[in-house]
Amino acid sequence: MRDVAVLGVGMHRFGKFPDKSVTELCRDAVVAALADAGVQWREIEAVAAASSRFSGGKGWGLNGNDVVEDMGSTGIPVYNMSAGCAAGGNAFNIGYALVAGGIYDVVLVVGGEKMPKGFIQTSGVEEETDPEFLRQRCVGMPGPAFWALLCRQRMEEFGTTEEQLAKVAVKAHQVAVHNEYARFRKEFTLEEVLGSALVSDPLRLYEICPVSDGAAAAVICSAEKARQLASRPVWVAGSAVATARFDDGLPRGLAGMVPPGKSYHSEAALAVSKALEQAGAAPEDLDFVELQDNTVYYELAFPEDWGLCKPGEAEHLLERGETLPTGKLPINPSGGFLSFGEATTAMGVFQVCELTWQLRGEAGARQVPGAKLGLGQTLGLGGNGTAVVLKR
Amino acid sequence: MATKRVPVVEGLFSEGADGARLTGSRCATCKTPYFPRSDLCHNPDCTQSAMEDARFGPQGTLWSCAVQNYPPPPPARYDEPYRPYALGVVDLADGLRVVGRMAVDDPKHVKVGARVELVLEPLCREEDGTELITWMFRPV
Ligand SMILES: [Zn+2]
Repeated sequence: MRDVAVLGVGMHRFGKFPDKSVTELCRDAVVAALADAGVQWREIEAVAAASSRFSGGKGWGLNGNDVVEDMGSTGIPVYNMSAGCAAGGNAFNIGYALVAGGIYDVVLVVGGEKMPKGFIQTSGVEEETDPEFLRQRCVGMPGPAFWALLCRQRMEEFGTTEEQLAKVAVKAHQVAVHNEYARFRKEFTLEEVLGSALVSDPLRLYEICPVSDGAAAAVICSAEKARQLASRPVWVAGSAVATARFDDGLPRGLAGMVPPGKSYHSEAALAVSKALEQAGAAPEDLDFVELQDNTVYYELAFPEDWGLCKPGEAEHLLERGETLPTGKLPINPSGGFLSFGEATTAMGVFQVCELTWQLRGEAGARQVPGAKLGLGQTLGLGGNGTAVVLKR
Repeated sequence: MATKRVPVVEGLFSEGADGARLTGSRCATCKTPYFPRSDLCHNPDCTQSAMEDARFGPQGTLWSCAVQNYPPPPPARYDEPYRPYALGVVDLADGLRVVGRMAVDDPKHVKVGARVELVLEPLCREEDGTELITWMFRPV
């Protein structure tokens, strides 16, 4: 395997852009990534793109083909990766593998999305053989309710308070004020978060990420190419994809077995441990983490799942300010999904952008001081998990 | 005239003299329970898939609960005007962890760790008054 560098990254700001197509959002991100990399479109040898269910892609998830047609059809291969909300992370992993495996030298990874209004329907399938369909038809448990169930369980186990849940959101917005790409660049008080409507008790509106429009792109290349271009490359120390294990205890579909141990979101834990192993790093070596905070619950649960802290310790780290960019365990210095909103399939690439800026020391007022090693993580429907470890 | 009651989806549950049960399968080799029915054991460590019909319930413990405060998107069903309902994840005594609505009037009255039992209750009503039935859990 060859060393792989992230040569350049670019994003379109997240928000609601009714007058722009997903192709236009992607164009902005790609143009910015190419400029950042100092690479011409002609030099891109392949595209690894996140497949969207909601926008563009000719209804078939051919979102990479849209980008190539828009930028100029040079005849290059396009890999459209579908993995629910993990699609961007999945696309990065494929792009990485193609460069590391010596197939191509310069690859573009891109994810863009325009989301429909409101809370999304989990499954696109209306068949009585589809477990997601059955779960929604027979029970009525959309995504936020699923997160609320996990959150309530944690509150029972560790005594997590409603104030602590709200403080995760307060912290997210506190840092997002300094991120020009964030959708919400405004501080929220604890009272404002606690005063927002219950979406799925115990979770409130400001404790759940909304859906957004947005796009992100990254140009990755071989080490040889990176040295030629004399840029400031950030290196891919690890990139991994996983799926959920059979003994996972999450209530997916209608039912599973009562699990032998405590293992939830095994797809995320597996991907993270694989990426760390590739990087030759231990969890405590990480200087910061960008994780998928669809809701405040995950910012408390994931760090302990991955060995970044002890079970039940995340609430204390939060209270002491240790998850801020200047703390011991900075989590989501970008502002995270809570501040960006989820442009589902762009998120894995969005994280690569933030990791890169942080590792170059270009993150301004939200900079993690001296950041050398960072982790990004996404997960998606179907039990898809992805992780990436970047270093400088 | 008695109200017509039909399952919201066929083949998932039944009610006998012994009360409500979920209809699924269990692998005779590795004992893994499945709901809904499965033709194949999905346990990667199982040496020989040997699926048998199984009925699950009615006793269980509430692993967690939450409230659905807003009307859920399709394909969920509910009666107008919308009333928030409680959701539960229940560990049944026979080894199945299953999701379901809680059959309670006030969602706030549901507590994690509570003993619950399986019941069959209306999810919503059709225009002609027909009740669409699903499985739910009621604290005991
Ligand atoms: Zn078996």
